[in-house]
This record gives sequence, C-alpha cells and structure tokens, in this order.
Amino acid sequence: MIQLHQIEKVYRTDTVETQALNGINLAVAKGEFLSIMGPSGCGKSTLLNIMGLLDEPSGGQISIAGSDTRNLGDKQMAHFRNQRIGFIFQSYHLINDLRVLDNVELPLLYRKSAAKERRELAAEALGKVGLSNRMKHFPTQLSGGQKQRVAIARAIVGRPSIILADEPTGNLDSAMGNEVMDILLRLNKEDGTTIVMVTHDEQMARKTHRLVRLFDGAQVQ
Amino acid sequence: MLQHLLTLIWNKKRQHFLLFLELFISFLVLFAVFTMLVFNYGNYRKPRGFEYERVLSVSAFQRFAGDAPRDSLTIISQQLKRALEAVPGVTAVSYVSGNSPYTMSQSSNNITYNNISAQPDEYWADDDFAKVLQVHMVKGRWFNKSDGAAARKPVVINETLAEKFFGTADPVGKILNTGTDKQIVGVVRNLKDKGDYAELTPGIYQRIDSGYQDRFLIKLTAGAAPSTESMIYKTIMHQLPSSNTEIEKLEDKRVMKNRMSLIPVILMLVISGFLVLNVALGIYGVVWYSVNKRRGEIGLRKAVGATSGGITRQIIGEALVLTTLPLLLGIILAAQFPLLNLFDMPVSIYIVAILMAAAFLYLLVTLCSLYPGRQAAKIYPAVALHED
Repeated sequence: MIQLHQIEKVYRTDTVETQALNGINLAVAKGEFLSIMGPSGCGKSTLLNIMGLLDEPSGGQISIAGSDTRNLGDKQMAHFRNQRIGFIFQSYHLINDLRVLDNVELPLLYRKSAAKERRELAAEALGKVGLSNRMKHFPTQLSGGQKQRVAIARAIVGRPSIILADEPTGNLDSAMGNEVMDILLRLNKEDGTTIVMVTHDEQMARKTHRLVRLFDGAQVQ
Repeated sequence: MLQHLLTLIWNKKRQHFLLFLELFISFLVLFAVFTMLVFNYGNYRKPRGFEYERVLSVSAFQRFAGDAPRDSLTIISQQLKRALEAVPGVTAVSYVSGNSPYTMSQSSNNITYNNISAQPDEYWADDDFAKVLQVHMVKGRWFNKSDGAAARKPVVINETLAEKFFGTADPVGKILNTGTDKQIVGVVRNLKDKGDYAELTPGIYQRIDSGYQDRFLIKLTAGAAPSTESMIYKTIMHQLPSSNTEIEKLEDKRVMKNRMSLIPVILMLVISGFLVLNVALGIYGVVWYSVNKRRGEIGLRKAVGATSGGITRQIIGEALVLTTLPLLLGIILAAQFPLLNLFDMPVSIYIVAILMAAAFLYLLVTLCSLYPGRQAAKIYPAVALHED
C-alpha cells in the first residue's frame, strides 16, 4: 500500500543542517496496522508527514497504492490526500468555530458532493465513533476523548484507504486512550483500513500488527 | 462551500461585530458619495442649452431718483442698448434679470396650473436673449416686438416646467397665472445656467419691455478685437457716467460656478477617501490577523484536500461573505431614500449609486484580502499543524 524507498529528510538553516530521516525503507501492506515508535525528535512525525504528502522528502521515493507521488502538483497532491488519506493528530486540530458535524464534513467540502450527502456521511461517521448525540456541539464543549473521536470521524468520513495517526492517544488518559485505540482497531479490522500510527505508548503499539522503531532518523527495528 | 463560509462567519459573529459595523457605515458613506457623483455626472452629461462663449455679463448699476418716470427709464435703456449694439464686434445685447447665467442670485415664484404646483425659477429677459445665448426653442417662439401689443403678457417656459404642467400636450397658447394671467408663447430647451453640474429645474421667462435693468448680456462676434471690452465700458460710462459698471466674461463665471459646485463633492471625496483608506487597512489587518491566528486550521484544510488556490479563494470568500451581511443591511437602508422620495431625485440615481457602492466595497475587500489569502496559501501544512 505504502512504499518508502531511501527516504531522506534534511532541515537546513543558514548555519545548521539537521538530518531528520536517513535512508528509510518501509513497506506498509494493505490492511496493515503499523505503529512507529521512537524517542522525541527521532523523525516519527516527519516520516508520517512525508507518508501523508504533507511534507516533501529531501530524497527518496514514495509510492502509495502503486502511484509514484514525486511528480504530483499541488492540485493532484490535494486530491490524493482528500481521496486516499485520513489524518488524526495528537492535538485533534478541530475548528472551534464549527460544530462537530461541520468539522467532520470538512474533507467532503473539497469533493464534489451535495450538502445532503455530506451531512449523511458525517452523521454516519460520527455514529461509528459513538458521537451521534454530540453533532450540534462545538469542540470546546467536548472532552479530550470526544474531541479525538470527532477527529477520527473526520478522518474516516471520506472513506480513505489509509489513516495516518500522529500520537492519537498522546493527550488522553489511559481509559480514553483505550477507547480511541479500540476504534482504530475496529476500523482496521472491520473496514480493512490501512493505519500507520506514531505513538510513545508501548502498550498501544503492541496492539498493532507491526512495530517500527526509529532512532536519530534511522530505522532500528 | 458558500454554506460552509456562511456558517463559519455566522459562528464568529461576535468577533466580527466591529468589522461588520465598519463595513455597514462604509457602505452608507460610499452610497452617499456615489449618489452625489452619479447625480453630478448625470447633470454634467445633459446639454447646456445655450452658448456661453464670447458672451459678456455686464452689470451697470445706476441709481435713479425714486420718482423717475418709467418711460424715461425705458428710453435710457433703449438708448444704451442701441449704443452698445453699435460698438464694433458686438452682435447682440439683451437685458436680463439679476439671476442671469452663472450668477449667485436666484428668484422663484409659486405657480399652480390645473392643481399642479411648481416653484420655477423666474427670469426676466428681453427679445434678444435667445439670440445672445443662442437658446434652442422646442416649441413656439421667443419674445418679439409683437408681444408689446398683445392683450396678455407673454411668457416662455422651459422643458422641465412644460413637462410638469402639460405632460406631452402642447403648452403654447395656454394661460399661466403668475400674479396676472400670462400666455405661453414658447417652450425653450432647459438652460443649465447654474453651472454644468446643477440639476435642471423648472423655469419661466418673462419679457422685459420697460424700465431699466442694470444687468445685460452682450454677444461678441468671433473676431471681436480685445479692445471691444473697453469700448463697451466707455459706451456705458458715456451713457451712464455715474453708474457702477462691471464687465465679466460668461466663460469665467462658468468656471467659477462649476468650481463652487464641485467643492462639496471634493470635500466629500476627501473625507470618504480617508474613511476608505481606514476601512481598507482595517480589513487588511483583520484578514491578516485571522490568517496568522488560523495557521493550524489552514494547515488542516490543506491536509484534508484543500488546494493552495482553494485556500486563497476561501480567505477572500470569507471576507466577501462578511461584507455581504452589512451590505444587505445597508442596501435596505439606502432603498428607503427612493422609496420615501427623500431628496426628490430619480430612482435610477439611487439604484446606480447602490450598485456602485456595493461593487466598490466588494472590490476593496477583495483587494485587501488577496495578499493575506495568498500568504495563507503558502502555509506549509506540516509546519502549521506542528506549530498549533
């Protein structure tokens, strides 16, 4: 599903050059639930951003679902993300000025879909994460766990084949973290969604199919 | 997307209240400015109705004894007119009332015809007025000598008054009461005698047939020598040695009158210019601040499928939606002017002014949000999402 070949990422300033990723080779199979672990600053999030086409590698090749992403333009990249990838972030990234339902609808706004259809799909996604009764609420009226569930609903509303989750349980207590993890496992198992999750939590990582460890920008496991 | 933008703006209505108010007030000021501009431009485009080139406006104030017989004053007038007509370079001379073209004087009279009331400007002029100013008669004729023997005194009315009283009917021969019954002998094309930007008002011309008028207009020939003016002055001083005489070119008086008409317009433009500048800076600041405050949101939108162009369009779209709400409120208020006929101006002026004010405000908002919108499009999602 996702093929990374010799991925390099170098951050340059006037005086300093930082090698964030160094020759990463990774293949994620369709339907696989992969977790990435490593100490802070080892390049986990950078790797996830590159997989999600949110960041460009300094070198190497990314292929997603058989498509080489190197030559994609801005519009094609946006379309690719919209159609194939769902994102979940540690800090949820919900828009506080929009109600829960409107937040979930967001990816569908960038597709040609009617308002009614968008509402139905958003409501369905919220149903999957058990938040049908919070559709009219604003994010500020929700708990951390509920916010992350809204973020998951937003990630799955467009029915992407890949979900990239950057420390989805990082801001949650263990009970809420487990709830969120259960939802992700269910999505993986029932819908066959490919999930790549960055985590610091060994216990969460053990629930996934495979664990990849990074250290100083290189894959060590 | 439009529904999404409306939702977004509506949910932030408290944050946007001041900008909303600023845009509402700006629209009303722009509406006032454009109404004034459209009104003045509309007047400017209308035909002047007379020729001002090579016409001198002369005032020869002469104090006569209070008991001076009218007939002798008439003789003095006629002698002066003949003497002036004999000056080389003079084509025609006409006595006129104090409210002759491009003066500050105004005189009006209430007249009612068939239960329709009007307050036309009332002018006095002699038989040569049409020749001096080359006015165009729409119907009938200008005054002539035969009017001196007519049973009823003659009047000439302008097109505006003719339309008000008679509509499409022919006014020639009809009787108007201006204190005494007078017969309409002609309809003259409207004269823009208060300046090029003044509106056309109803007017009635009465015939000067006796007494002394201290103001007259003199038409010069195309090749009149520069000395003609001094010869005219000498002629007047010869006939009326103790008179207080002033000679001005009608062209100069026109320029002066037009300047005076434009002063309030220029003042309004300067004031509104400052306001527009403030509004522009305000909008730019608000949009810029909003973009910087919402970097995470913009990064997220890019992550879920927004293109760079889409982000720019969204930022501009939000500003336009935000403008539309106060604009609608402003249009409702502005529409009361034609509905209640507050300044007796044609409805078309208000409609054009509303459209121009709305278009100007939309253009201003688009320009002010274009640069912040472009900057927003350059936000790198990975960086923005990490910062937030």
